[in-house]
Amino acid sequence: MSPSNHAAAIGALRTMMLIRAFEATLARRRDHGFQLLSAGEEAVAVGLCGVLADDDQLLTSGRSIAPALARGLEPARVMAELLGKATGFNKGKGGRGHLAAPQNGFFGAHAVVGGNISIAAGVALSRQLAAAPGIVAVLFGDGACGAGALHESLNIAAIWKLPLLFVCNNNQLSVATPRTAALAPKLLSDLAHAFGVPSRTVDGMDLSEVACAAGEAVAGIRAGQGPAFIECISERFGSHSTTARETRSQVDLRALRSRCPIARYDASLRAAGLLDDARFQELEEEVTTIIARAVDFAEASKTPDATEVLTDVL
Amino acid sequence: MIYQISVPGLVADVEEIRVLEWHGCIGHEFDAGDLIVELETHKALVEVRAGQRGILRQILVEEGNWQKIGFPLCLMTDTAGEPLPDSVESAGDLLVAFEIT
Amino acid sequence: MFSEMPKENDATVKMYFREAIIRALREEMRDDPNIVLLGQDIGAFGGSYREFDGLYGEFGPRRVRDMPVAEAAMVGVGVGAAAAGHRSVVSITYMDFLMLGFDPLINYAAKLRYKTGGQLNAPVVVKTTAGARGQGVAHSQCLEAWLMSVPGLKVVAPSTPADAYGLLKAALRETGPVVYVDHKRLFPIPGDVPIAEGITRIGHAAIRRVGVDLTITTHSFMTRVALEAAELLAAENISAEVIDLRSLAPLDMDTVTASVRRTGILLTLEEGQMTCGVGAEVATRVRERLGPAGSALRTGRLGALPVPVSSNPVLEAACLPGAHRVAAAARALFVGAAAEVLADTSTTHLWSTS
Repeated sequence: MSPSNHAAAIGALRTMMLIRAFEATLARRRDHGFQLLSAGEEAVAVGLCGVLADDDQLLTSGRSIAPALARGLEPARVMAELLGKATGFNKGKGGRGHLAAPQNGFFGAHAVVGGNISIAAGVALSRQLAAAPGIVAVLFGDGACGAGALHESLNIAAIWKLPLLFVCNNNQLSVATPRTAALAPKLLSDLAHAFGVPSRTVDGMDLSEVACAAGEAVAGIRAGQGPAFIECISERFGSHSTTARETRSQVDLRALRSRCPIARYDASLRAAGLLDDARFQELEEEVTTIIARAVDFAEASKTPDATEVLTDVL
Repeated sequence: MIYQISVPGLVADVEEIRVLEWHGCIGHEFDAGDLIVELETHKALVEVRAGQRGILRQILVEEGNWQKIGFPLCLMTDTAGEPLPDSVESAGDLLVAFEIT
Repeated sequence: MFSEMPKENDATVKMYFREAIIRALREEMRDDPNIVLLGQDIGAFGGSYREFDGLYGEFGPRRVRDMPVAEAAMVGVGVGAAAAGHRSVVSITYMDFLMLGFDPLINYAAKLRYKTGGQLNAPVVVKTTAGARGQGVAHSQCLEAWLMSVPGLKVVAPSTPADAYGLLKAALRETGPVVYVDHKRLFPIPGDVPIAEGITRIGHAAIRRVGVDLTITTHSFMTRVALEAAELLAAENISAEVIDLRSLAPLDMDTVTASVRRTGILLTLEEGQMTCGVGAEVATRVRERLGPAGSALRTGRLGALPVPVSSNPVLEAACLPGAHRVAAAARALFVGAAAEVLADTSTTHLWSTS
């Protein structure tokens, strides 16, 4: 099921556009820093976050900007954090790799590949012990699928029936290593079968498919059925990071652009009569305004005082 | 004859034990194989059983109290009327068997 | 709250090391329903050292949770639960296996408060048992020195049942991660524990034996070895002051420095490796604090030989410091031998093996 009402559907498109334009704005800056971007992968973050509720928690890998914006974190404070300003969510001390806003349901990013997965299982355990509403979702890439941490966490989540959704954003490349060269399973969702965890593989470039699968998985978890696993197969438009060399040919990269998830969702909304040029224009302007304000806010903000180096240690 | 039961050398590193329970009062006659006292190490229970007959005459370490390995726990005699010594040095060791659980 | 050494008139009860641990956990778990224990064989089995006996019966499988052999996940789950509101104790039976959990402990828990700008913290106690006793190269290590330098992490090491109790209670009230390191060879040794509830404050060392001729700083099981050595030295009229550090991060340098100001000689003792060891840090900090006034200071360090610790009793004994070796080192320092002599393993013929 795609976002279940028109406003949500338009909102999802707008969020994907926001992510694309936000990251592009960031990447154009000289002071952009070390970033992992999500161009091409927006549907995964937006499709997933569309089914998360306020009292759910999301943990991510270092590719955190798209999920953070999809989760609804204020773009101005995200930009401030990315540019190392004191007004950022982490007071400028974490940056993209550790972006966090637990009060907004974004328990946080962690820059160690696979490093947030067992943490997420712990957060889910806490939820279960508290009999609190709300589930936990952890987003990681294909690169994390070879890590013991994933398998250990699947095992624990299954045995204890933790309210945990494992979402693998398989963009099919781990820096330079194609996923088939690194990982044996036919589908990464097969990894969950060993533990009896229900799993699916979906097209990560299709927002509706991601949202539908995530919605079903989350419903099962909320009903107390234990953990679930979704593999979203996606493709990133850029290299692994702002410092990583591109491994694909220009020809392939150009072809890739024709598989853009934003264009695809745009087309589906137009086909359903929910979007026209005028409305699209409005969305673009909204996004542009939001980003301009975010940049202004971040640029006007101060960097942390050097004395902050000693705070928040113990 | 007067005998003492000393805390048996149990496992490596056990220097001291705690007396858990005496299984007989003063005057009780234990036959070979009878459970005399249960001791507690840091990890296990030790059942000290009589290896020969004897009458319990004096408890030197009460339940809940501690004693070092090799030191006496109680005095026993062959016969009920035998006078007890002033010190335990003159007592020989009673034959015991012990089982660690 | 009670002070570090029970006063003469404080009522105490003698108990085993494991009983002190259980007492601390029981009290804190009764007080705070959000504390959970995670470990291998800690439920009905009660722990490999029976150090969790009775807790499963009282608190049940919800709060005393057996986990598979998966130290990375054990630490990660404990850390995540703690960050989300359920303070956890993660029991790692052998310190050698704590390495498997270093990523969640060091890359996440220790850095969580800092990296989130104060939004999150992880009140987790990782309890682990160090030390050698015939179990071989991968079941014998003392690695606490590795953890002392991790910003955001506290490290404590009790040497008595009283501190096993007091430091564990203190650790369970911290707002960040604490590694609590006990020792295999401490479990058989009972000790007096104050009857009144209280904590042993983290960051406070204890002077276990007052002396005037030299200062021995140490921790954990080596405290007992140091005290034995001090008896040997006393027979030669050398009066050794023995300081049990108890807290390795933060270190109580006030107590140590005050002692060394009095004695002028420092011997650091540990069961772990000397290279980048606890003693190296203590000695350096003492020198820093004394400054030029410490130019006459004599220091030496003693620890395990730089070899893996074999299960072979002959080799294990040759590797680790014993009372005679400690006394020999102290004697050498006292009579003015160069500190380098002690750290030079080719001179082990100077030490007797015991």
